[in-house]
Amino acid sequence: MQIGFNFTLGETTPMVQQLAREGAIDYVELLIDNFLHVPVAEMAAAFDVPVGFHIMFSRFIEVDDATLDTFAAQLKPFIDTLQPLYVSDHIAYFTHQGRALFHLGEIDYQADFERVRERILKWQALLGCQMHVENYPSIVDGSDDAPMFFERLMADTGCGTLFDLSNAVCAWRNGGPSLHAWREVMKQARHFHVSSYNTAFADDRVTVDSHDGLMAADTLAGLRAYRDLMDKPGATLTYERDENIHYDSVLEDLLKLREIYAEVPTCASLP
Amino acid sequence: MRFPSLTALPDRMIRDRELLDQLIDPTARQRLPRDSRAFVRVDMSLRNYWHTLFDVCPDLLDMADPAGEQIFDGFMAWAAEQHLSMGWHFYLWVGRWLAQSPFQHQLTDALQEQLMAAAAARWAVLDRSPQVGVVLGRAASTGWVVGWKPNSLLAGRRVERIEVDSGLPSPEADLGLFYTNSFELDTFPGWQVLPK
Repeated sequence: MQIGFNFTLGETTPMVQQLAREGAIDYVELLIDNFLHVPVAEMAAAFDVPVGFHIMFSRFIEVDDATLDTFAAQLKPFIDTLQPLYVSDHIAYFTHQGRALFHLGEIDYQADFERVRERILKWQALLGCQMHVENYPSIVDGSDDAPMFFERLMADTGCGTLFDLSNAVCAWRNGGPSLHAWREVMKQARHFHVSSYNTAFADDRVTVDSHDGLMAADTLAGLRAYRDLMDKPGATLTYERDENIHYDSVLEDLLKLREIYAEVPTCASLP
Repeated sequence: MRFPSLTALPDRMIRDRELLDQLIDPTARQRLPRDSRAFVRVDMSLRNYWHTLFDVCPDLLDMADPAGEQIFDGFMAWAAEQHLSMGWHFYLWVGRWLAQSPFQHQLTDALQEQLMAAAAARWAVLDRSPQVGVVLGRAASTGWVVGWKPNSLLAGRRVERIEVDSGLPSPEADLGLFYTNSFELDTFPGWQVLPK
């Protein structure tokens, strides 16, 4: 398993470069749409390790074709030059009736399937590459349909799932599907995310995706339990931290991931 | 520990999509049972709007009640009536609402420029068009606020205030804006009205 770190802000550049230099990470995941006006050559020279692309605001499900065409034209040179390990995006509502949602909305996995399928095909064609789409940290009901949705989407469009294990843990803690229900998705996925969660301000019985601290015990247990399904040639696991980005704390979690994915000696490798 | 016993709604299942109308409506907090995941979901969404406004412009909290509810609830209700998109420019609409609200006498030039800077910064971070800069002007001032997208890995977004003394017109309305495709501010295409 290749372990990576998400890079979202210019000010964290030295820290991410240090993590790469010291071997704590194997690649850097760029929140690429934050950097579309940085010269491609500067991005290519920034890190001595491979990169993955995570897209936040393409809003590919809901924007019109012309907007998506323009966005693709901006992104394509970065894909062609940096040759990322993967390109990923989000399955969510970003607006409702023309109003921006400041906390993204979860799609209806049954009612919205055809629309998402059509837009994934369009988005992949524009970028000329496979798209890996991330699962949502569900709070209310309906997420029992999510694992089958992603299985169907992969089968129908050739896209991948960027399986965020801690998002799935959030959903499970909020009454959603167990990690076991995601087995087929994990088996097919090659790219993964993991991070911390927290409790909601209004009620600590609700779990929310937070990216603000150390990974929880049940998240780590999930990684161990499904290691066999996740760890495969070419697989990546990105550790996300958007708040409290401190080197020692990030490194502590990265070392836990290294431990989980440490090579297990096989008979053939023993003296 | 898992909390499946905390239902989305006490009487039935509810999907996120059914809550979309309420995610931006402060009165929804009164309609939903407090002991439900639906309430928490709506509360989380509203808190994002609240923090986006008051964390960036904390001086607004000195104008009314300490929790900012008089401003937040008043503006959000007005925003719904006006069908505002709550895009990057929503700070500017907060200024417009304040200017015709009971708080109008507390709306100083400095606060107006804070709201303009907040809007320019949000544009620089969230806009995904090929344009690289946004320029905001005010009828009552020769100072422009300019937001630039990051054009270097280390630089990040930039917001600057510049004084213009070259005979260029002020916006006809209280506020105006234009976009630029170059990191040099070398053309003046004319003021556009504030998008909704």
